[in-house]
Amino acid sequence: MKNKLNKKEKDFEDGNDIELEDRIEELRVENDSTLIRFDHVTKIFKNDKAILDDINLEIKKGEFVSIVGHSGAGKSTLLKLIHVEESPTEGSVYFDGVSLDMISRRKLAYHRRRIGMIFQDFKLLPQKTVFENVAYALEVCGAPKAEILEDVPQILDIVGLGDKMEKFPRQLSGGEQQKVVLARALIHKPLVIVADEPTGNLDPNNSLEIVKLLLDINKLGTTVILASHDHDIVNKASKRVVVLDHGKIICDDAKGKYKIC
Amino acid sequence: MFLIIGRTIKESFINFWRNGWLSVAAVSVLVLSLFVVGAVFTMGMIADNVLKNVEGKVNVSVYFKSDVSEEKISQSKKDLESFKEISSIEYVSKDKALEIFKKDNADEPVIMQSLEEIGENPLLASLVIKANNPSQYQSISDYVSNASFKDDVSRINYGKNKDLINRLNGIIFQSKKIGLVVAGIFGAVSILIIFNTIRITIYTHKQEIEVMRLVGASNMFIRLPFIFEGILYGVIASLIASLILMVAIKFINVYASSVVSSGNLFTFYLSHALYVLGLQIAIGAFLGITSSWIAMRKYLKI
Repeated sequence: MKNKLNKKEKDFEDGNDIELEDRIEELRVENDSTLIRFDHVTKIFKNDKAILDDINLEIKKGEFVSIVGHSGAGKSTLLKLIHVEESPTEGSVYFDGVSLDMISRRKLAYHRRRIGMIFQDFKLLPQKTVFENVAYALEVCGAPKAEILEDVPQILDIVGLGDKMEKFPRQLSGGEQQKVVLARALIHKPLVIVADEPTGNLDPNNSLEIVKLLLDINKLGTTVILASHDHDIVNKASKRVVVLDHGKIICDDAKGKYKIC
Repeated sequence: MFLIIGRTIKESFINFWRNGWLSVAAVSVLVLSLFVVGAVFTMGMIADNVLKNVEGKVNVSVYFKSDVSEEKISQSKKDLESFKEISSIEYVSKDKALEIFKKDNADEPVIMQSLEEIGENPLLASLVIKANNPSQYQSISDYVSNASFKDDVSRINYGKNKDLINRLNGIIFQSKKIGLVVAGIFGAVSILIIFNTIRITIYTHKQEIEVMRLVGASNMFIRLPFIFEGILYGVIASLIASLILMVAIKFINVYASSVVSSGNLFTFYLSHALYVLGLQIAIGAFLGITSSWIAMRKYLKI
């Protein structure tokens, strides 16, 4: 009994959740290269018109998908469904073969560790240093100190901020702050990076750098979903482009350019 | 697991400290209510002790006329011994009564002097009867006044104590009731104030909570700091409250020591202090947790 407990504790600290993984095996309805699948998803906020209207979208493991469209086209809502910030009004979202409504609220945290989120407004904690901001993502998941001390500098080196660990967010440029966010998103070794307008607050040079980093991360095998209305960076990526308009997918090009069909 | 608890406890201490005056307000109201709880409880214990004391002192004394011989008295004693409800009968002879009286009034020279002036022993021989149960004194007294030896009896001393006990019981019951109502009101107020404090903590930590959810912190990790914060208020408040109670009793001790059987109110309190403190901590923590929980249910979206 004690051994079992210890093992559970250790798994918990490692960020693995054995139970969840078992559950995932049980619940997996499809087992192929699909990472995320939207199945007739409709989202309506309080009897308003549909923000998302019967969306069918499949994203494969290792893909780089840009989602474009006007403000209010439903990009952010689409991404929030992946993170279970919102739930679909109709239809289901499948993540790694499992319908997201099968994951209980209690287990939601473990689901979210499989996703790295990046935002336009960074969402860094101003009173914590760069190192602490990234370490925080591990701390709140119960990672042991040794692991934090080892992993955080590594990740910060990858995004090129190895020498600015002790700086506070306000001492960094916008581009650097976004890199910290990226490092924080990567710290759990997520299956997918979900970036919601990551370059919205950045100048063109910094934007390009972030896109380059996202492309590098994608090359290493992590799926990337990038929502943006910035022509340049979508064109620079020149990967799959999904165009949303008034809650519907109107274009889906495997190797696309930014366009409003 | 321990890591998480350690980190969340640390977090709640920091919250407590940074909230400053809010924490002070929450703790002081809680101190007030816990002090009332502790005081009511201690009062109750003291009152029970006093009651037991007084009950132990209750007896029926049957005084015999001075010309009744010792044999006759012992015969009456035998007669009474068949009475089932009597637990003990003690014969106090005239000489013994005098001895006791002298001892009791040794430091009252006026009484001693007047006793000497009388010359002979003015006291009567008596039988001191104790019953198994305080409620049986009435029937014993009735029995004695109708017994075969009733003509030998000078008087039966019974009644004063009984009234005292009944009155005491009533007062204790009433004051316990009032105390509990007051404690309840303070308790409700402290729940509201802690609730508000935790609500503000949640509000000031909006950003952190959002980030925590973002990076996949478990619900427990997000909630525990607020729960611990509530417990912290409870524990700190109960420690302060019992300290105040201790000082208060030490102060009262000077005036009211003799009410308890041990003769020292303060030591009597000390011997029960852990009990009172435990009760206060339990109630304080309960109030803290309850208000944290309500605040989280309302303001903390997971």
